[in-house]
Amino acid sequence: MTDVALAPAAPLPAARRGRRGGGSTIDQARRRLFVPFVGPAFLLYSILFVVPSVYAIWISFNKWAGAGPMEFVGLGNYVRLFNDKLFLRSFGNTLLLLFVVGLAIFVIAFALTLVLRDMAGKKIARSVIFFPHLVNAMIFGVLAGFIFNPGGLVNTLLGAFGVTDPPAWLSQDNLFPLIMVMMTWITTGYFTTILMAGVDRIPPYYYEDCALAGANAWQRLRHVILPLTWDVFGTCAVLWTISSVKIFEIIWIFGGSTGAGMPPTQTWTTAVYTYVTAFSGESVPAYGAASASAVLSLALVSVLVLLLRRVMKREAIEF
Amino acid sequence: MAKIRKVSALALIGAVALTAAGCSSASSGGSSDSGEFTYWSMWKEGEAQQKVVAQAIADFEKETGIEVNVQWQGRDNLKKTVPTLNTNKVPDLVDGSFAKTAPVLAETGQAKPLTEAYAADVDGEKASELIPEAYLEDDVLTVEGEDAPWMLPYSLSSDAIWFNKAAHPELAENPPQSWDDFLATMDEMKAAGETPIAIDGDVAGYNAYWYTSAMVGLAGPGSLREMAADKTGKAWDDPEALEAAQMIEELVKGDYFIDGYNASKWPAQQQVWADDKAVMLFNGTWIPTETGPYAADGFEYSSFPFPTLGDTARADFVGFAVPARAKNAENAEKFAAFFLNKKYQDALGSEAKIIPIRADAAVSEEMSTVKEALDEADSYYMQNDGISFPGYTEKLLWPALSDLVLGKTDAKTFVETMKTGQVDYWEQNS
Repeated sequence: MTDVALAPAAPLPAARRGRRGGGSTIDQARRRLFVPFVGPAFLLYSILFVVPSVYAIWISFNKWAGAGPMEFVGLGNYVRLFNDKLFLRSFGNTLLLLFVVGLAIFVIAFALTLVLRDMAGKKIARSVIFFPHLVNAMIFGVLAGFIFNPGGLVNTLLGAFGVTDPPAWLSQDNLFPLIMVMMTWITTGYFTTILMAGVDRIPPYYYEDCALAGANAWQRLRHVILPLTWDVFGTCAVLWTISSVKIFEIIWIFGGSTGAGMPPTQTWTTAVYTYVTAFSGESVPAYGAASASAVLSLALVSVLVLLLRRVMKREAIEF
Repeated sequence: MAKIRKVSALALIGAVALTAAGCSSASSGGSSDSGEFTYWSMWKEGEAQQKVVAQAIADFEKETGIEVNVQWQGRDNLKKTVPTLNTNKVPDLVDGSFAKTAPVLAETGQAKPLTEAYAADVDGEKASELIPEAYLEDDVLTVEGEDAPWMLPYSLSSDAIWFNKAAHPELAENPPQSWDDFLATMDEMKAAGETPIAIDGDVAGYNAYWYTSAMVGLAGPGSLREMAADKTGKAWDDPEALEAAQMIEELVKGDYFIDGYNASKWPAQQQVWADDKAVMLFNGTWIPTETGPYAADGFEYSSFPFPTLGDTARADFVGFAVPARAKNAENAEKFAAFFLNKKYQDALGSEAKIIPIRADAAVSEEMSTVKEALDEADSYYMQNDGISFPGYTEKLLWPALSDLVLGKTDAKTFVETMKTGQVDYWEQNS
């Protein structure tokens, strides 16, 4: 996606200059090559992403089992979704992941960044906190059983401390909070690493200046670190928004689906709802409703990203 | 110069696109007498069942000269088939359980009636005669208006209450015959300090077995499906609907289920059972194969049917189907019938330890009790009693049943939930 977005950006200044002054032969040649170079990327992108998306929107206006005839139902699928308690709950869970887990991640990541900045052995510490992000979510799903089963690690340890009646960790109602904690743990390291790259970029003389001016830690954060990492921060927020709406596999595997069945409805997100609606495997697929749910997720991401970009917009500070 | 470059770049793209298109049409081409067919199998390489099918394919190729392009895709084979149904890349033969095949192939009109497979000659008999008549009654495998079934089953799966015969010979000699008998047996187990039932409560499909069996036992096969189809929800007022739920409530309230079943992750509890720490497990016919690797030493698998089923038994077909747009349907049907040869049916029973469809085929010791129950039954039902309305089981029935089995609701609340939930469901889905 980024490739395509960046591709046309490069020749543009040349084009503008060319128009203004007639341009050199090199500029003109560049301008002519614009289409042959951008064309293939644009074509591939259209075929692989734009056309299927448009097709999905079309399907969402129909009732369709994946094969056989399509029946046009207009906005029926959308109306149904908003009347479906299960979809609303799944949507709520998606928002919980997006905002609650998102907030937790950024608070912790930022705190870690500040601590790690002048800590000894920060490179090792950084690798350690990044590590959970490298591990496939499947592993956590399987591990969760090993750790939290009634006869699992946690309860055995608690038993040693005399706890005879431990909480039902993996019960249907406790699963989603557990997933939220797990998600925070997995993702924090990733964003800490990105934020640290931004913080490391700040030249040391700003800190020296702060020291000379007698600024305390809070003032340093408020007037130096935050303004100078703001753009990194904004990018991270957009990245999280996009990825959080797509969270699927950890929920699928966490909730009793290592091999059999599907997760309890208490933990469903819109992504899981979409999947079950289209590919439940044991009932007639409802591709229309599934597409409608996917289109709504896409709309949610688009709106949120636009809002975020607007809210986070600042003059870029050059240093 | 630049123009030439531009043109040649576009030409290049065009050429690449054409080649790609050429490739795809070349590989999907082929007519019905091309001497080959494509088969997307539900078995994965290395599974006991796969070995039997692979042997049959080798023999079939040698005998007929027809080449079989087999892909061992595993249980997701049908999910992968659905997107191909409207294209020319559709496989010629797929297999799967009835519950997974019917919704995507039969109910959408995408399955071919297997007239030739059923008429084919196998071991000197017509293939249609090798499948016990009772299974084909009521035309469960035939789409309305067609003259032949769309599925050729080669095996059956069923469920039963499993136990270790070595530890509990009394259950083998004297299996509980009624609900009260069942409860009394379990009370004895509890008095002896044993855990009566292990259950992985996180698998909603397994939780649903209890209610489906209770309901079918009370009101007969198809009763649950009929109730589900009622758009007013009033069908849930039937006393049997409540009575079946009360049976499950008794199990929960009586504390017969293993501790922690409401907060564990499959396969934790079936492992505990295979380790002899609980007496019974209500589950499918795959249990001996699935739990075999971690079963306690000297574990002898045996089973008895759900006590109130009477002369009804669960029979889920596993078999072949041919998509309507398959190009090499004739060859595919030939192989489907070929697989009913006694040689492979025996191998399915004795080596793969599943239940072959042919009545005269061998079954393993582990499956003998289930086979007996199937042979004695005079009516059959399927998983979830054959309900396949879009999302009904996953979004309504299973969550409500899980709540009941996990002790989060009582029988009355369950029936209320189903009644109101079903009205909502049909408002949204009709």
